[in-house]
Amino acid sequence: MFAYNLRLAWKSLRRNPILSVLIVGGIALGVAISTAFITVYHVFSRDPLPNKSGVLYYVQMDNWDPAAPAHPHVSGLPPQITYRDMRALMRSRIPARQTASYQAALYVFPGDDRARPSQEPVRMVFSDFFPMFEVPFQYGSAWSRAADAADTGPEPVVVISSVLNDRLFGGANSVGKTLRIDRSEFRIAGVLAPWRPSIHMYDINGNPFSDPETVFLPFNWGERLEIRSTGNFDNWTRFDGNPTLKDILFNSEADFLQMWVELPDEASRQAYKSFLDAYTTDQRKAGRFLRPLDNRVTSMRDLIRQWKVVPPQTKAIASISILFLIVAALNLVGLFLGKFLARAPQVGVRRALGASRGSIFLQHLIECEVVGLIGGAIGLLLSLGVLAFFNKVFGSLARTQDFFRLDLTMVLAAVVLSLVAGAIAGIYPAWRICSVPPARYLRNQ
Amino acid sequence: MPFGPIFRAMTRNRARFLLIVAEVALTLAIVANCVSLIRQSRAELARESGFDDENLLSVTSRAFAEAFREDNYLDAAIDADARTLNAMPGVRAASNTYFVPWIGGGSSTEVMEGEKRFRTQFYPADLRLLDTLGVKLVQGRSFTREEFAPGSGGSAPANAISPALISEKLADLMYPQGGAVGKVIRDSQGVDAYRVVGVFGPFYNPYGWPIGDYAIFYPARSGNFRSIQYLVRAAPGQARTLIPEIEKTLLAANNGRNVEVKSIVEIRSFYNSRDQSVVVALNAVMILLVFVTALGIVGITSFSVAERQRQIGTRRALGATQADILRHFLLENWMVTTIGAVLGAGLAYAINVGLVTMVDGAKLDGWILVAGVGLLWAVGLGAALGPALKAARIAPAIATRNV
Repeated sequence: MFAYNLRLAWKSLRRNPILSVLIVGGIALGVAISTAFITVYHVFSRDPLPNKSGVLYYVQMDNWDPAAPAHPHVSGLPPQITYRDMRALMRSRIPARQTASYQAALYVFPGDDRARPSQEPVRMVFSDFFPMFEVPFQYGSAWSRAADAADTGPEPVVVISSVLNDRLFGGANSVGKTLRIDRSEFRIAGVLAPWRPSIHMYDINGNPFSDPETVFLPFNWGERLEIRSTGNFDNWTRFDGNPTLKDILFNSEADFLQMWVELPDEASRQAYKSFLDAYTTDQRKAGRFLRPLDNRVTSMRDLIRQWKVVPPQTKAIASISILFLIVAALNLVGLFLGKFLARAPQVGVRRALGASRGSIFLQHLIECEVVGLIGGAIGLLLSLGVLAFFNKVFGSLARTQDFFRLDLTMVLAAVVLSLVAGAIAGIYPAWRICSVPPARYLRNQ
Repeated sequence: MPFGPIFRAMTRNRARFLLIVAEVALTLAIVANCVSLIRQSRAELARESGFDDENLLSVTSRAFAEAFREDNYLDAAIDADARTLNAMPGVRAASNTYFVPWIGGGSSTEVMEGEKRFRTQFYPADLRLLDTLGVKLVQGRSFTREEFAPGSGGSAPANAISPALISEKLADLMYPQGGAVGKVIRDSQGVDAYRVVGVFGPFYNPYGWPIGDYAIFYPARSGNFRSIQYLVRAAPGQARTLIPEIEKTLLAANNGRNVEVKSIVEIRSFYNSRDQSVVVALNAVMILLVFVTALGIVGITSFSVAERQRQIGTRRALGATQADILRHFLLENWMVTTIGAVLGAGLAYAINVGLVTMVDGAKLDGWILVAGVGLLWAVGLGAALGPALKAARIAPAIATRNV
């Protein structure tokens, strides 16, 4: 019966090609626009680490100048923490894993003398960083916790991205080779697999859509080699005389570090929060943290929302595009009405021969859904074009050419949208045609 | 005008008109809110830097030669680069500074005037910076060669009163009575002090948070081992050809570094890319939506004409002119559009409330709705005209035919 209805639908479509093209085109347009804009929203708002974003927490402490108004950051607190506070926090054993992190820029010297050295974006991290953020490796692995060590000094190891590995070593396994970075030699411990999280989730202070860094160094090299941050740097310290770089970076109120802790359950979160409060209260004795006590431990999921990483317009436009699809579908009601009612005499005959109202209704609704799906398929193809356009306009910000792409969820969404559009357009005309009284059309034939 | 009969005729066929009403209402609501969002993004896009953006280039030198770690070498290299750049044909002026239009680069500090605090952005500047940016000295004077203290590192000299140029907007904010020149500004920590020697404008800071157009320039070289920043103002039309020339010339002068040259126009389009995509997206949605709605009205009106052929024939046979029939359908359409528009206005405000909370959007402007209603009247009448003309041409004889 279903196959029969499908065949009827197909015949009906071919009978009036111009009308069919109009209807299919209308749905295609609606599905194309709404799928494209929902995809944009989906790509932005997609959880970058679904398994971890609820257990990874970001630490903020209000060490801002007590004489100044609240920090101008959207959260009202300094968005990052100081080096000395990081040292104290890293001593806690409450988190299952933890890492501080900041961005730097260092020259990498290719072994080959002919190639020019290139300045690379560098991320300073502890070894826990890699498992915490589910960083995938192609060759080798992260360095060990022992290699982090602050007291004995960090080991000269480095992890490089697949991008840099392709550039320097042609993509071959380079684990164990040495690399000159700035003035020191580092041994390559691991090479990342191609890795591009949808947002730069471990540091959303700068451009949250930038690519991951190409070089990852043990954090403690930062103090050893006096590596300065190229990220945001908030400092209100009053120095006497001319401070050295070491003073400014490591012994001041300069906030430039992101602090992430992995807290597997609510109990550990509470414990960590108490630990923070106890720490800042204690620091007040030393004349620090003189603003009202405000320590925050925010999950990655909440942080992304609170810091408004997703451009709010994308949600607005996604909602508008759904309304657009509804209008497009409403427009087709008139066309379907005309098409179906022109067929009223024929339906009258079928009804007189015993077809039930239900089967007439079903027949016409299926026709609408067939149209909806054909339009949806074309719309899906069109939405690829719309997304390609957005990649072009937006690509410079995301530094990639396929930032917006359809995934399976979005393809399914498009199918659902086209079925809904077919239903909106078809239910009323199908109901009208099935309630045609058979007698009226039999009289004069 | 036969409103009564038309309205009664419409109530006999409610579904059809409710459809148009719904379409028109949704269309108006969506279009009005799109326009509102677009105006908001447009305001950002239309923002002028006040600088000679079209001719400006950003030049970044990133050293890897160890010699650059030496302060004296660094200072000499900065001075040499500035001289080299200023001597290049096609260059109008070149400066060493941390400031890059549409990126920023200074540091944010609070300053005091009496008991009042003001947050402003600080930028190191050299002698030619105003000329390079293409901004004017509004009051006072620029820096002198003597004031240009040796030493680099981008920080102001500690515990000494440094001369400073401040932006017009900051001068207006701090000294509403005027007379900024000669005043001494202290930072809120009481460490550094600046004597205002001049006021310049216009100026802007490309930052998301409310730092306004407040800026203070102080004389200093800016740069460190890792990066030295220059701005170059090209003679009109020379910017494009200068980009590769500058890189070649600077590398020829000193090869221990990489040099990157970017046009400010490119940097600006990066800065604007988000608002730009919003405007493009919303415009596309709006145009397509109006088009689709027009198609829908054509469809429903044609259907309604086809269905009422006999009545039309009868009316014609009873003496109605073609103009009467035409007027009937156009009036009918106008009434439906108007009802839809009234509902749409309410819906537009409802959606707007949602948008305001969602995107901190602007409240809907009344005139956008008025313009929207006008647009829909025009679109509605235009779309109904074809089917209405067809209806007017229906022959009276149809009435006698047995359908």
